[in-house]
Amino acid sequence: MLHNVATKTLFDQRRTLLAWTISLALLVGMYVAIWPSIRDQPAMTDFLNSMPPAIRSMFAMSGADMSTPIGYVKIEMLSLMAPLLVLLYAVSTGAAAVAGEEDRHTLDLLLANPVSRSRVVLDKLLAMTVGIVLLAGATAVALMVISPLADMSLPTGPIVAAMVHLALLGLVFGTLATAVGAATGNLTAARAVPAVTAVIAYVVNGLGPQISWLAPAQKFSPFYQYTGHDPLLNGLSVPAVLIALATVAVLAGIAVAGFRRRDVAA
Amino acid sequence: MGEEAIVRTMGLGKSFGSTVALRDVDLTIGRGEVFGYLGPNGAGKTTTLRLLLGMLRPTTGRASVLGVDAWRDAVAVHRRVGYLPGEPALYGKLSGRQRVAYFGHLRGAANDRRALSLADRLDLDLDRPAHELSKGNRQKLAVVLALMSGPELLVLDEPTSGLDPIVQQEFYALLREQTDTGGSVLLSSHVLGEVQRVADRIGVVRSGRLIAVERMADLREKSLHHVGARFADDVNAAEFAAVPGVRDLAVTGRVMTCSAPQAALDGLLKRITRHPVVDLDCAEAELEETFLAYYGTGEHHAA
Repeated sequence: MLHNVATKTLFDQRRTLLAWTISLALLVGMYVAIWPSIRDQPAMTDFLNSMPPAIRSMFAMSGADMSTPIGYVKIEMLSLMAPLLVLLYAVSTGAAAVAGEEDRHTLDLLLANPVSRSRVVLDKLLAMTVGIVLLAGATAVALMVISPLADMSLPTGPIVAAMVHLALLGLVFGTLATAVGAATGNLTAARAVPAVTAVIAYVVNGLGPQISWLAPAQKFSPFYQYTGHDPLLNGLSVPAVLIALATVAVLAGIAVAGFRRRDVAA
Repeated sequence: MGEEAIVRTMGLGKSFGSTVALRDVDLTIGRGEVFGYLGPNGAGKTTTLRLLLGMLRPTTGRASVLGVDAWRDAVAVHRRVGYLPGEPALYGKLSGRQRVAYFGHLRGAANDRRALSLADRLDLDLDRPAHELSKGNRQKLAVVLALMSGPELLVLDEPTSGLDPIVQQEFYALLREQTDTGGSVLLSSHVLGEVQRVADRIGVVRSGRLIAVERMADLREKSLHHVGARFADDVNAAEFAAVPGVRDLAVTGRVMTCSAPQAALDGLLKRITRHPVVDLDCAEAELEETFLAYYGTGEHHAA
């Protein structure tokens, strides 16, 4: 496992990733377990419909309907909980990549090896990508394996599509955290900048349809690429995937260029 | 030294914001040479070493190591240089063996035989995770990591800190082996005593400037002697003060004490023998004291 920076980073995360995977599976299990009681209460849907449109679009996405398995998963998991957890992992991992090592002073010895700074950043990004894909994949598997136990029928294709978009969402903000950390070496900024950006992007995407002056900005929100096309109903959106990948590529370029030109703290 | 220069800096300087950490350093280290880089803490020693490793980008001038630019070709430099930071931070959960394997792979040397033999000589247990190691043992592990790939140049920042005297002996033996095989060493310290046994030359850095470079042999020639004489009559201080090189002169009644470099001893003795001498004492001072006398930073200097 200790052959390069990418595998070593994953080796360091092996217990963390296991804990995350188990937590996500348990979370899915919990949602599935309470599904029957939600389904039998049509009042939930009435309640959602009675919410002010702004609130509803913030937390429940479009076409909220708690009476179907897809609507339930969308509202309970995909609108807030799943992105929150994936972003938590992605941003903390991205910030740890360069800024975290620098903060713990381990970067000095690592960079004294014949490994270029670009290689270090790209390996760290690769390791983070593997971690995010693992978490999104574990969530997809858990949904497909556990949901039949409560008679929830979820279509495999759209679930996988939604998880692909979820992983890309995590990757965008994780790469942003890596870029801020690589370009500045500041661990606090590497965590705070993506966190604040994510909150703004979330609100812009949620309120865009309701507030006219926000509407043009909505399409720039990574959350719009994530769920704007309603992946649980419509599957994968190729344009949304490409936009997310392009964003990641630009941020990765900034991370490499920013890291190559600055002083590294001892 | 021409092509044999392992390290060459020209007008090397580094500023952090408005703070000038290093200015205008011209330094050359040759093949097979041990260079002791001395100065008080905060003088710019670590900044210099990290410039040579391409961790910092020079503000002025440039540094070349093994013939290539230290900033632009840092990877090529790292392939042939072993580095020991001043306060090596290790991955706490990795054992020494894992750490050696990781860096071995990054250095393209999958063979860990040399690392194992180094650990054995330094009496280091490679199986314990780094966070369980004492400071001395962490330092030993960092020494193993710096030396294990057999680099042509060793850059060592305060290498003996935390090492007990027996391990220091072994460490100096390792440095001798390094130079015997044509390798070079640049080691920093804030005390001369640590480097005087191994260094061929020393450079003294203070407040970001390289203020002196001397061969150890020359420094030894300048080495101070403590001279004390008791006379049968009262003597006059002015008489001894006239001898060039004499310092710390004190005369109380019939007793005179002073310090003098080797070169001043003859003149001093001739003045002394003009008087009836009751007792005479002459002892060579520690090199450290000589060093402080010429480049000292004052009484707060850690000796």
